[in-house]
Amino acid sequence: MTMYTVTIANRDGAQYCVDARRPLLETLREQGVDLPFGCKYGGCITCAAKLKTGAIDQRRQVALNNRQIANGYVILCVARPTSDITLEIGVESHDKLYRNPFLDPLKPHELKADIATPKEG
Amino acid sequence: MDGQCCGPGFKSPQEAIKAPREKLLYTIAIYTGTGIQKPDYLATVDVDPDSSTYSQVIHRLEMPGIGDELHHMGWNACSSCHDDGSMSRKYLILPGVRSNNLHIVDTATDPRAPRLHKVIDGAEIKAKADLSGPHTVHCLGSEIIISFLGNAKGEAPGGYLHLDKEFNIVGRWETSMGDIKFGYDFWYQPRHNVMVSSEWAAPNTFMPGFDLEEVGHLKYGRELHFWDFEKREPVESFYLGEDGLLPLEVKFHHDPDSTHGFCGAALSTNVIHWWQDDANKWRWEKIIDVENEMHPEWPIPLPGVMSAILISMDDKYLYLNNWLHGDMRQYDITDPHNPKLTGQVFMGGLLGKAPIVNGVEVAGGPQMFQLSLDGRRLYVTTSLFSTWDNQFYPEIREKGGVMVMIDCDPENGGMKINEDFIVDFGKEPNGPSRCHESRYPGGDCTSDIWL
Repeated sequence: MTMYTVTIANRDGAQYCVDARRPLLETLREQGVDLPFGCKYGGCITCAAKLKTGAIDQRRQVALNNRQIANGYVILCVARPTSDITLEIGVESHDKLYRNPFLDPLKPHELKADIATPKEG
Repeated sequence: MDGQCCGPGFKSPQEAIKAPREKLLYTIAIYTGTGIQKPDYLATVDVDPDSSTYSQVIHRLEMPGIGDELHHMGWNACSSCHDDGSMSRKYLILPGVRSNNLHIVDTATDPRAPRLHKVIDGAEIKAKADLSGPHTVHCLGSEIIISFLGNAKGEAPGGYLHLDKEFNIVGRWETSMGDIKFGYDFWYQPRHNVMVSSEWAAPNTFMPGFDLEEVGHLKYGRELHFWDFEKREPVESFYLGEDGLLPLEVKFHHDPDSTHGFCGAALSTNVIHWWQDDANKWRWEKIIDVENEMHPEWPIPLPGVMSAILISMDDKYLYLNNWLHGDMRQYDITDPHNPKLTGQVFMGGLLGKAPIVNGVEVAGGPQMFQLSLDGRRLYVTTSLFSTWDNQFYPEIREKGGVMVMIDCDPENGGMKINEDFIVDFGKEPNGPSRCHESRYPGGDCTSDIWL
């Protein structure tokens, strides 16, 4: 079994060893990390956290737009680690998750993956 | 308890108007998406002015787990089975939009302290009916129908879950969704064999928040659908275009003989009116168009965002909200083709016209509302949906939601904020929560349909 270490930056750097094949929401909650969640299938961003270092696979998420992904957001209910990672969790990590859509529009390449157009240049 | 006959509800809207004044009110309050790791709950609010706990939350029924996002709710029975002595308006059904769970709450054993009766697991609904994202609950006779906005993967258009009176899953209610692209709210008028449904978006689109650009990519609805209610299939759709972006709440007249109905198009901030003409054809028109307002610091005009509408039990007044502008409005719709603005009050909103109401700083704007059967008291709450709140009113995290009462004059028209009533959900014991839809145990203006 491949295991990786998850460091939680905004919980005094607490570290957890997790199974690489299972979603982070499950493996972290099992070890007592108090995390928000909603739909549990990658559709709703309630469980979003910010990836500070390392890599994850979140192919199953359908909730994030490309700007949120570029800002490091990961959907813990479907994301699996592919290396040791450092996360910032909970609403403290949501500073760039929400934006007023009238004041701060998305560019075409920043939309969700199914409707985004490639960035020019 | 709430009728003169044998079953629940009232013989007619006229009888409902004469019912005793409401003393308790239930509203859902959420922690989902707020940063507080507690379950959402059903709050009982004391609305009896003679009580020592008037204008306070007197009971909180927590859901079993976190992350439901309670939103709308509905009764197991209403005036549609007024003649059925075996039925009673006992259970309130509380869907979790994100979890897909349906919570069945017993409000009759102790109306002040409702208790959880049963939970229908969201995974079971996905497995048996391929549905997610529950929204509107209506009963018809002893049957219960709930609109779901997506399939098990959160993709539109979803469909309708059919429950029996013991809250067992019967399966899908509809025969066909036809060419319908999205689901949201619905209401029916059985004497005309018609149901009308509206369109928000797929759960995967609206749950993460509002990307305005997705409206242009046709990820949000702009149609109304007319159903053959007995055949359970859509038969006619109206494309509303730019006048009907995000058509949300659907209300028919309470008079069961009427064919007039209304829908609030949230983003266009218009009221759409429909009726059947002399040739039995369905017609529609835009009857109210709330103009965008200039925000002092914004480069683009601000739409009102009319997320809800409500019709008084006497069918004389239509109430609507402008969540971003911050006003509640009352229109006289005696002539439904020519509504007249008869009342307006501000509470919160982004235009800064009423930042404080009865000493409480209002985060958010008027959002959901419930009207007393006699049409005199309108209870208004301020939170829309956790992710959307977080985008437009981020300060609601610290301040929580608010419930305000507006005194309405059903004889002459007019609205005024009641100065003796306010419930500040920012002061809840577990921290600021957000209140949304409300219902009264004895019936209200959004619960009953007459056969």
